[in-house]
Amino acid sequence: MSLPSLPVRRRAVLATGTAGAGAAALAGAAPAPAEAAGRRFFQHGVAAGDPLPHRVVIWTRVTPTAASRPGSGEGPRVEVTWEVARDRRFRRIVRRGSVTTGPGRDHTVKVDVGRLSAATWYFYRFRYRGTSSRVGRLRTAPATRSLPGHLRFGVVSCANLQAGWFSAYRGLARRDDLHAVIHLGDYLYEYAPGAYGAGSDDTDVRRHEPAREIVSLADYRQRHAQYKRDPDLQDLHAKYPFIVTWDDHEVANDQWSAGAENHDAGEGGFARRRARAHRAYDEWMPVRLDGTARLGDGDRLFRRLRFGRLAEISMLDLRTHRSRQVSTALPFPAPAAEAAISDPDRTIVGRQQMRWLKDSLSRRGAQWKIVGNPVMIAPLGLQGLPDEVLRPVNNVLEVLPDDGFPLNVDAWDGYTDDRRELFAHIRDRGIGDTVFITGDIHGAWACDLPYDASTYPVVDGSAGVEFVCTSVTSNNLKDQLGTPPRSPASLAVERVILANNRHIKYLNFDDHGFSVLDITPARTQMDWFVIGDRRDRRTRISHTASWQTRAGTAKVTPVDRPVGR
Amino acid sequence: MTTPFEAGLAEVRTGRRTLLKVGGAGLAFSTAVATTAAAAGPPPGDRKRAYVLVIDGCIPGEIDGGLTPRLRALRDGGHRFPRAVSMPIMETIPNHVMMMTGMRPDRTGVPANAIYDRRLGETRTMDRASDIRVDTVIQRLNRRGYRTGTVLSKEYLYGVFGTRATHRWEPAPIIPVSGHAPDVFTMRAARTMVREYDPHLMFVNLGDIDRFGHSDFTGTTVRLARRLALADTDRLVGQFVDMLQSTGRWRHSMLIVLADHSMDWSTPDRVISLQASMDADPLLAGKVRISANGGADLLYWTGATADRPRAIHRMRQIALATPGVLSAPRRDAKALRLGPNAGDVVVFCKAGWRFSDPNPVTDNPIPGNHGHPATRPIPFFIAGGHPRVPRRKASSALARTVDVAPTVASFFGAGKPRRGWDGRARI
Repeated sequence: MSLPSLPVRRRAVLATGTAGAGAAALAGAAPAPAEAAGRRFFQHGVAAGDPLPHRVVIWTRVTPTAASRPGSGEGPRVEVTWEVARDRRFRRIVRRGSVTTGPGRDHTVKVDVGRLSAATWYFYRFRYRGTSSRVGRLRTAPATRSLPGHLRFGVVSCANLQAGWFSAYRGLARRDDLHAVIHLGDYLYEYAPGAYGAGSDDTDVRRHEPAREIVSLADYRQRHAQYKRDPDLQDLHAKYPFIVTWDDHEVANDQWSAGAENHDAGEGGFARRRARAHRAYDEWMPVRLDGTARLGDGDRLFRRLRFGRLAEISMLDLRTHRSRQVSTALPFPAPAAEAAISDPDRTIVGRQQMRWLKDSLSRRGAQWKIVGNPVMIAPLGLQGLPDEVLRPVNNVLEVLPDDGFPLNVDAWDGYTDDRRELFAHIRDRGIGDTVFITGDIHGAWACDLPYDASTYPVVDGSAGVEFVCTSVTSNNLKDQLGTPPRSPASLAVERVILANNRHIKYLNFDDHGFSVLDITPARTQMDWFVIGDRRDRRTRISHTASWQTRAGTAKVTPVDRPVGR
Repeated sequence: MTTPFEAGLAEVRTGRRTLLKVGGAGLAFSTAVATTAAAAGPPPGDRKRAYVLVIDGCIPGEIDGGLTPRLRALRDGGHRFPRAVSMPIMETIPNHVMMMTGMRPDRTGVPANAIYDRRLGETRTMDRASDIRVDTVIQRLNRRGYRTGTVLSKEYLYGVFGTRATHRWEPAPIIPVSGHAPDVFTMRAARTMVREYDPHLMFVNLGDIDRFGHSDFTGTTVRLARRLALADTDRLVGQFVDMLQSTGRWRHSMLIVLADHSMDWSTPDRVISLQASMDADPLLAGKVRISANGGADLLYWTGATADRPRAIHRMRQIALATPGVLSAPRRDAKALRLGPNAGDVVVFCKAGWRFSDPNPVTDNPIPGNHGHPATRPIPFFIAGGHPRVPRRKASSALARTVDVAPTVASFFGAGKPRRGWDGRARI
């Protein structure tokens, strides 16, 4: 999602508190000599992802010759070895192997390393021509039937390189208390320089490569390569395994199953464009598509990751299977009144993913059902008539959306029948402790998820809660308004939203940053950390808010302190 | 037909139990004569006490709702199981029986509050002491010389547990429509039983929250009556804990607090009645009996055995095509473990619905119901001062009502049944 352009005004620089907790162990650490030499061949860092109790994906890209530039299709086929050890000096290597890569896969290397011990830290590296990549660190998930005391994840989304520096990644990489990082999408942006940068005038703090909107496979590969060269992102990848999903910008803005707002016929067929984008994603991201680390065997991204009996994370794909967004009479942010919003024939998840998601929530293996949810599921708009009043009217006339007048029809609000089906599933089966963690909307939110927002909270009943992380850099409200953070204008907008949506308990529409999600059997807590000026590479980072949901309540409540303090 | 209370009175009259009226409150307790005479007594110096308090029908989130500060403090200070669930059928009698037997209904013989009794050819409540076919942890402790007590506010619970405990409260006064004694009397009886008889295990059912929930016509909205009951029961539980602490018992005690099921509310336009649909089917007409259990209907085929497979298929088809029905598994589905007393097909309703069978108008007019999956989540925590009770701990383990007996047995070192428990000890 991209927030619309609004008239620009100069924004003030925010200087806030102290950096995130924890000391740097790997992030930015001085490399050993062999490792330093290896960085010539391993310019894009290392990464790990999708931790299971005994398997984790590890990733790198090798640049064997100067000609082997990302997206070039040039360069030799080469063999790269990999090693996984219990110690950083690799004296206790537990797994090793070699793989051949080449221009056919853009010289990326992706290995699903098995036979690891559960809930264990490992170090990994790649070797080529006697040199080593930097060392990465990963942690396997707890054993399936274990009872972990807690889990802690970094949570991020919406990192537009042109809009600023990835200080949020730096803040997370400096922590030493996470188990993994969950990226909820918009890991990269497809735009050309000048098309979507910082503020409503689209100032490019950094410029995208290639210097055009990405459309071809080579384009997508080069853009991935550019992001992977960002030092803050490299440090974070090296420090923790990632659990990722995509939103729209990994392909094109406001993508749906057969098109996107930012795609036109002149750019070729959308299906081919998406296939290229997904191919590059599969090559460049430490993720299993269709359950494997192999390339080209499918692009199903929705999947589950179990963390003992404490939590299971279900990562959604809300772009590939969705119906086209409803075309609204008035542009965002005017509330939409089109009845098609609640048309049961339209879907955001698709039938197969809906069955899978309902099964995920029904499973009794883990307490907390964490849903990695690229776009917001909490209703956001002007709430309409109570369900009991509206349903009979719509049964006859079908003139109004069933769940009020939403502000953002690109989110679940534009597909309310899916949301209704999912929430009914939760309610009918007595499913508790469901937490949606969400990106996309470039703000920090904590919400209950009411069965009927129009009567909530007078009529009780919540399907779960939603914690929304803000953007790493992508424009938020103050950026579009051109005002300082927390200005009267922003606060007024937030007040209006909160007043009209009583299930939304916390909103900060102004700041960029990251979140930390801490899960225990008693509660799940989200901490929000904000950065100062995204144009300042060394900007400060500070804690700004914490909210929790206590087990069994399906409601959010404020918390005084972040975890790890 | 003899009611459970009439049966209890008869036991007293025949001399199998002695009746003692205590204090000015008019509380009556009956004591098993044989047990009092033969009791060898527990190991000398064994001061362990276990109290099982069932907050009937309580929803887990209600303990965080601000009305139950004492329950919340007990929960947060002890060992809590946020994922805890009631077991099918999510009704009062089968879950209390599971608590005290540690076994599922295919072993206990008690799958629901109401069944169609094929032998009698009628639908009846499972309130007879003979309905429980297996040993209970109450009897297990009795045999080891421990004193046990039941303080059960509901008529049918009083009936089904019968004379198993050493000491039994004869509940009074009983509210005629609800068939239960208000919590204020139940807790007075519990405190008195502790003072007078000091049982090692005491099993208490507090029925107000459930009963006020059933009849709360504001249940789908503000739950006025329910909220009053929550606050009052919390106060009474607090008084009980205060008594344990002031008498020095707390440090030797394990207090298990849980619900038997939670609660859901429906409006009059969301009522399901399957009997007419079954009777309209050529194969099934006149050969299906239904025992309604709030949010679950048990369907019994009474026709020819040879037709049973076809009939089951048809019953399920009809049920699943009925608005408000969530699922209609075969009774012998492995996960249900209900046993033959539960009939052939189990039909569960969706949240916000209820069954009214066989008569869609007169049966089950009450808004609050349970028995369906929406009412599975329950509060379940273990408090107390005994060193075996963990302090301020939460666990993601899936605790169930069937875990109570193994937990109590483990606490007393009372072993396990020959075929083992279906539940697990949670300490």
